[in-house]
Amino acid sequence: MRTALYLAVGVVLAVIVSSAVEGQGQTIDLERIRRATVFIMQARSVSSDLIVTCVGSGTIVSRDGLVLTSAHATFPSRLCDGETLIVAFSVRADEPPIPKYRAEIVQADIGLDLALLRITRQFDGRLVEPGSLALPFVELADSNTVQLDQTITVVGYPGIGHDPVDIRRGTVGGFVAEPRGGDRAWIKTLAEIPGTMSGGGAYNQDGQLIGVPTTAPIISSLQGAACIPVQDTNGDGLVNASDVCIPVGGFINSIRPSNFARPLLRAATLGISVELPLALGTSFASIPERQPAFRRLFFAPSVNEAGMPTSVIRSLPAGATSLYLFFDYENMTPETVYELRVTVDGIPNRTFSLAPVRWSGGERGLWYIGSVNQPWPNGVYDFTLFANGVTSGTARLLVGGAAEPAPTFSDIVFGLQDSRGTPLGNGFVLPTGDIANARFIYRNMQPGLPWTVIWYYEGIEVRRDEQVWTDGLSGAKTVGLAGEGGLFPGAYRLELYIENRLAATSDFTIAGAQEGVFPRVFTNVRFASAPTTAETGRTASASAFPTGVRAIYGLFDWQQIRTGTLWTLRLSVDSNPFYERTAPWSGQESGADFSVRLVGEMGIPDGTYRMELLVNNVPLQLAQAQVGIGQLPIDRFASASGLQLRGQILDAETNRGIPGVSVILLTAEYSVSDFEWREDQLFALAVTDRNGRFQIDRPLELLVPYSVIVATAGYLPVTADGFRIGPETPNPLDLTIYLTRG
Amino acid sequence: MASRDLLGAAARPESLTFRQRWSHYIAVLYCLVATLIGLNLRDAALTATISYTNSQAGIRAQYPANWLIDESGNYVFRVRDLSRPGFKTTIQVATRPVSPLTSTRNVLDALNLSRAQTLAAYEVLSEEFYALPDDVAATAMTYTFVDTQDNPFLQSIPVVVQGLDILTIRGGQALVITFLADASAFDRLRPVFDQFLDNLEF
Repeated sequence: MRTALYLAVGVVLAVIVSSAVEGQGQTIDLERIRRATVFIMQARSVSSDLIVTCVGSGTIVSRDGLVLTSAHATFPSRLCDGETLIVAFSVRADEPPIPKYRAEIVQADIGLDLALLRITRQFDGRLVEPGSLALPFVELADSNTVQLDQTITVVGYPGIGHDPVDIRRGTVGGFVAEPRGGDRAWIKTLAEIPGTMSGGGAYNQDGQLIGVPTTAPIISSLQGAACIPVQDTNGDGLVNASDVCIPVGGFINSIRPSNFARPLLRAATLGISVELPLALGTSFASIPERQPAFRRLFFAPSVNEAGMPTSVIRSLPAGATSLYLFFDYENMTPETVYELRVTVDGIPNRTFSLAPVRWSGGERGLWYIGSVNQPWPNGVYDFTLFANGVTSGTARLLVGGAAEPAPTFSDIVFGLQDSRGTPLGNGFVLPTGDIANARFIYRNMQPGLPWTVIWYYEGIEVRRDEQVWTDGLSGAKTVGLAGEGGLFPGAYRLELYIENRLAATSDFTIAGAQEGVFPRVFTNVRFASAPTTAETGRTASASAFPTGVRAIYGLFDWQQIRTGTLWTLRLSVDSNPFYERTAPWSGQESGADFSVRLVGEMGIPDGTYRMELLVNNVPLQLAQAQVGIGQLPIDRFASASGLQLRGQILDAETNRGIPGVSVILLTAEYSVSDFEWREDQLFALAVTDRNGRFQIDRPLELLVPYSVIVATAGYLPVTADGFRIGPETPNPLDLTIYLTRG
Repeated sequence: MASRDLLGAAARPESLTFRQRWSHYIAVLYCLVATLIGLNLRDAALTATISYTNSQAGIRAQYPANWLIDESGNYVFRVRDLSRPGFKTTIQVATRPVSPLTSTRNVLDALNLSRAQTLAAYEVLSEEFYALPDDVAATAMTYTFVDTQDNPFLQSIPVVVQGLDILTIRGGQALVITFLADASAFDRLRPVFDQFLDNLEF
């Protein structure tokens, strides 16, 4: 009875004190977020020393130590050439971070500038036993639910190591569209975020991670680079420009939405690695020596499902809410840093600018940066593109005035023409054959108006038709391209001009054999199990595999794919993608048994696995197979929501903390009298530190009755049943419990 | 005079009656018996054990009452004394598969290599012959390491831990019985482990 009274008094006091301290009506659990935010140092071994080469912030996204951060500060590159990753925590909120662990990259997408690290070792190099970590972590939000003008909180380390975690608040200023990520490739914010907070976290009001603030430092040898030397790395007794410097970016206004991190997190959680044949590797070729370049800048009011401009415009009417800047690019790599600066009537505008970020497209092709559902104020807009800090293209657009009934072409789609002249097919991937047709919409055309059709194949003009308009004012028209020896597989482009002004353009791909009006690019898509990759071709396909199978293969045959054709491989489990890679085709034009090997560290987890093959965003083939029961197991530690319980155990006589005290929370099914001292009856177990402080490493659920035992030798134990928390309980909850000697 | 009589009366020893004398004897005896019973109950409580049986592993044991038992790890079972301040005294029983050619040396090497990866300042102190109850031959390996707190947000001073492995190979598997305790209290706590070994059947 007395012990229960002690605990009750402790809880009441803690609630009162915590409420008084908080008192802000704040719903976001900043304490948990702060504790889940880490400082990451990439370091290089030189002799017996570790030299810090890059720094950034990161966020713990799983209890067992997965850390989400930027790829540019962690993945080895020319700028960040370290091989060791060190994870540091702020033990107290107002203290700088202290190195605690070492980590390894388990998943990364260099173009998206996201990396997922796993804590694998203690800072002194000892291995961390799998499953032994119980770190505070945050959950990922559905970043598609983020709204314009929504308040967000950005958390990260603002300096290069000596500052505690910083919190900046701001609002969502808009969204940036790119081919790689659709309409929400980036979330824009007007919050003042220093570049060193890159890799940290941006949160919604529920404390869920909506994205990773991202900016990429520019390569140090180029103009615009910013880096800070902090160590005497050359041993000359001075710390100056001759030493290795730590790159830091400029301002951050771009947040990479958390939905892009989900596949990485899922793959890391599953413990699955995806292996592709070296001969047909999907990574981009070696970094070209030529300077990246942008050309053919133009504007479009919208894009279609293949990421192509619906039409080409020179001005935008007042009140418009959608605009896309298109351009061709070449010599790009995932390490290329590109940037868009926008001025409105000569004044720099951060809302429509994009801070320096990594390139997430291919080596060459057509790209866009756009925004939708965002008003564009009237004015003269100047767009300047930079590649690795060098100006690489400019364009001007007038926004304002009424929409004019100018002659336009729009909405180009490609296909094989039926008997009525209508192109049929999937729109943007055509089979090899003699002819390709394109249909487009025309409006406000006048008879006698000169117009031109130009066809390109792999960047080379192959046909030009200069004509005079003879059709009606508005309608649909079809044009065609025929080859004497047939149309070769590869990348094609159509440009339509009105009075020598680009009016519409679109790319399409020819690949695969003809199967009706559709291309047969990938065939015999299947899953199989085989002892080795070499034996996959002789193995029968399967739609079900036993639980615990260590590796399965996704296989397919292909035909008539030209080298360089961009294709996409997407793998998912239970309809959740965990791997997606778009890359130029680098194999033979036709072949069989392309194998994608899925290997699980502890076996492939149960689930329904799907492999999809796409070209030009057009799904062409898929295969599906079950492993085990065909459904992923439930992770009982997956939820980060709930109340954080911590506190201090004090000696009732001396008022000093008692070290080594066990604080035991039983699951809701057991009371103290039912407790048989079995581990499976525990909800959580904590032990006090040298100051008597403890932290329960699992969040407590609301309104669930827990039983508590506080025990150590030399003191009377404290026990209580029915310890539950309500929605009004402050989070984190600080308990102070006094123990009486006995 | 009255005061002298009074003082004299007060100083004069008063002889106890037979009833009073035996009352005192009985009270003292009662206290002694109660003390003995109390001590006995205390010893019984401190040395109380709980039976554990694992038919799959073929192990039967008696472990101290109020120690937390865990069967979810890569061991047959592990019990810890959570009331112990600092490092929680631990007894663990684990099995490892061996081949006919595997020697005790091989198993100990594997244990050492594995522990050196995860334990700070791990060092083997001694290896010697040990006779388990029923004269089962075994090897005792004593070692030490430093235990650190896993929670990066707490400030704990590392504890020097002493460990003792009793290893025997039997029936195609190696049985490793481990005792871990704070090095400063290892010898004092050792009888608990000895009692555990005395009652262990495998």
